[in-house]
Amino acid sequence: MPTKGPGVFENEVAAMEQAVGLTTLEKAVAWAQTKSMWPDTFGLACCAIEMMSIVSSRYDIARFGMEAFRSSPRQADLLIVSGRVVHKMAAPLRQVYDQMLEPKWVIAMGACASSGGMFNNYTTLQGVDKIVAVDIHVPGCPPRPEALMEGIIRLHEKVMAGVPPAYELRGVAS
Amino acid sequence: MNFNAVPGLVEVKQAHGETTLVVDPARLIEAALHLRDELGFNFLSDIAATDYLGWGGKGVSGSIATASGRDLNRPSTQGFQALPSLKPKRFAMNYHLLGVRAGAPRVRLQVWLDEDEPVPSVVRVWPTADWHEREAWDLMGVPIEGHPNLRRILMDDDWEGHPLRKDYPIGGEPVRFSGDE
Amino acid sequence: MALAPPRPTIYEGTRIPAPIPTVLQVPRELRESEDILSVNFGPNHPSTHGVLRLVVDLNGEEVVGLAAVIGYLHTGFEKSMEQKTWWKAITYPERIDYVAFQYNELVFVLAIEKLLAIEVPPRATWMRMLLCELNRIHSHLVWLGTAALELGAISMFWYCFRERDRILDLFELACGARMHTRYFQAGGLAEDVPPGFFDECAKFVELMPKAIDDYEGLVDRSPIWRERTKGIGLLSADDAIALGQSGPVLRGSGVDWDLRREQPYLAYDKVDFRVPVYPEGDVYARYRVRMDEMRESVRIVDQALRRMPGGRWIADDRKVVLPPREELHTSMESLIHHFKIVTEGYRVPEGEVYVAVESPRGEAGCYVVSDGGPRPWRVKFRAPSFVALEATATCMSNALVADMIAIVGSLDTVMGDCDR
Repeated sequence: MPTKGPGVFENEVAAMEQAVGLTTLEKAVAWAQTKSMWPDTFGLACCAIEMMSIVSSRYDIARFGMEAFRSSPRQADLLIVSGRVVHKMAAPLRQVYDQMLEPKWVIAMGACASSGGMFNNYTTLQGVDKIVAVDIHVPGCPPRPEALMEGIIRLHEKVMAGVPPAYELRGVAS
Repeated sequence: MNFNAVPGLVEVKQAHGETTLVVDPARLIEAALHLRDELGFNFLSDIAATDYLGWGGKGVSGSIATASGRDLNRPSTQGFQALPSLKPKRFAMNYHLLGVRAGAPRVRLQVWLDEDEPVPSVVRVWPTADWHEREAWDLMGVPIEGHPNLRRILMDDDWEGHPLRKDYPIGGEPVRFSGDE
Repeated sequence: MALAPPRPTIYEGTRIPAPIPTVLQVPRELRESEDILSVNFGPNHPSTHGVLRLVVDLNGEEVVGLAAVIGYLHTGFEKSMEQKTWWKAITYPERIDYVAFQYNELVFVLAIEKLLAIEVPPRATWMRMLLCELNRIHSHLVWLGTAALELGAISMFWYCFRERDRILDLFELACGARMHTRYFQAGGLAEDVPPGFFDECAKFVELMPKAIDDYEGLVDRSPIWRERTKGIGLLSADDAIALGQSGPVLRGSGVDWDLRREQPYLAYDKVDFRVPVYPEGDVYARYRVRMDEMRESVRIVDQALRRMPGGRWIADDRKVVLPPREELHTSMESLIHHFKIVTEGYRVPEGEVYVAVESPRGEAGCYVVSDGGPRPWRVKFRAPSFVALEATATCMSNALVADMIAIVGSLDTVMGDCDR
């Protein structure tokens, strides 16, 4: 039965913070990065509709400074791949990812972006981590807006703890 | 409605409240014009190409029927009792037509084709057929003769093969289980 | 700007371009005399409603050439469904048109039931109709929010999504999930309607007409909205029928055609509703059709709530429908049927059917071929968005770039539906 107090994830984040040992300047920079991480308008399919609803007034991503969805990847920090990626779309996705300036983070939203979802066939990419380095996978088909927000908040906590973006840690899946 | 005057008519089938007109592919355009102009089917809903490769390869249920239709005294109403009815050729192109008027009459125009046998384009009869025929070519490999822009539409331009054919594999990845490592 | 020479059309008296009906081609004289710029409105664009790519030739601000490239969301639904049993395959169609998700589910389930010739109990029929009309309102709200957002009426987005969340709350209450509800089953509904749903739905029916008044108050008399939508994207009635348009695009061009009234399915012949038709054929007419349809849908939901029959929610045919779980403890036959249906799947008799319903985008159809086995042999979905995009070239004669956004928005395409 969960009790009050820090949960497993919070303890892990605290342990990472102590291990990485950020300076005050790095902490300040990480704080600034998380408080206005602007997403790119990369809505593909059903998950895009749920991504739009986190901008709406009930779930309100503006609380986190993220309601400014930038259409130009040059101005965006976060790429939320929301929806199934097919082979024809893989090249534009990689192009958009490459045009984003570092530091950049990727959230694979939904089952299709994380692993191909229910579409294990000739045309659907089995997980977007085959072509871009993913920081957070959010499960669901489609994930509730609260689930996507939890993914975003965990990403913020990762960044505040000093974990580097995914492209520094690993390449794409082989 | 009387379909006897449709040019190239081979057969009229009635099932589930729907009428299917099987027509000779060489006279498809004449049949289409007759249906549009004489019988008033001015709306082409859909063009569906079907691949019957492997049809009848295994036995299937004769008829499962609903609770009201099952008869204990007719043994072949359930179970692996029958093979499905034979099809004349490998591919069927189905044109679903609708008359936009009271009564909403619908009819299915069906032509049977061998592999790589072309079918004439009905773009001049119903302009909406443009993309439907491109999709039939792209996914099923049915060549359309006389189409002004026969290119791939849903797959990549340089894709090889026609994915919806029965001899094209489903693709994807085998699912890995953690215990298999 | 030189006056463009008249374009060749596919036959006399139409504006559908020739030789390719779906492509606007730059006339050769224009290409030689003017400086034509080719711009790619790529698959990732904030205003193209999903992954649509438009290759546009511009002469200054005017669109003189247009070709749409689709396929960036082709997920292979039809082939995937051939690998699954009939029961499991019902999960797939919802994701095709992901804004009006229950319509694709409905059309597939109706096709299976037509082949099976199974009787659906009236409670299931009325509940399906109620949920589908709520889904129609949902689809029009998403359309209005995003189309207005693209034209600059940004606050509409928040107003529309406020009601949209209430509809999704209703879906979650009845079906268990906000989107992609997977509630329709061959033979009826997956489970009975939970208590409290009808009260919540009645509250929604109370507040929705005032919300629609709010939306109209925001944009309807705004001179900017009228400038950007009246007289833009004209499509005549004959061209609309020739191009296979249906739904609000057809009714916005003056053709009085609605499948709910012409070939009634579910219980539409027992409820009273009006079909809005506007003759102008422009973006404003299509907007008005959808606004009026929202009001009519609220009325249909209201009538369905008052007249909802009681009784079973799924047919009683044990060869197709799972037995209730309590019976599995006591009845051997139920256990065997449950096992066979879950592992092997129920068998649908051999045949081919085409079923069409009136989805918010137009005629959504499903062509199913069964070989008598537990899996579909061929499933083809008639996607209204696929056909709606074919009309882009015809609507776009003499349009500016800003009009192009309004026109593509008014055709209300969902790329999942277009590419399948």
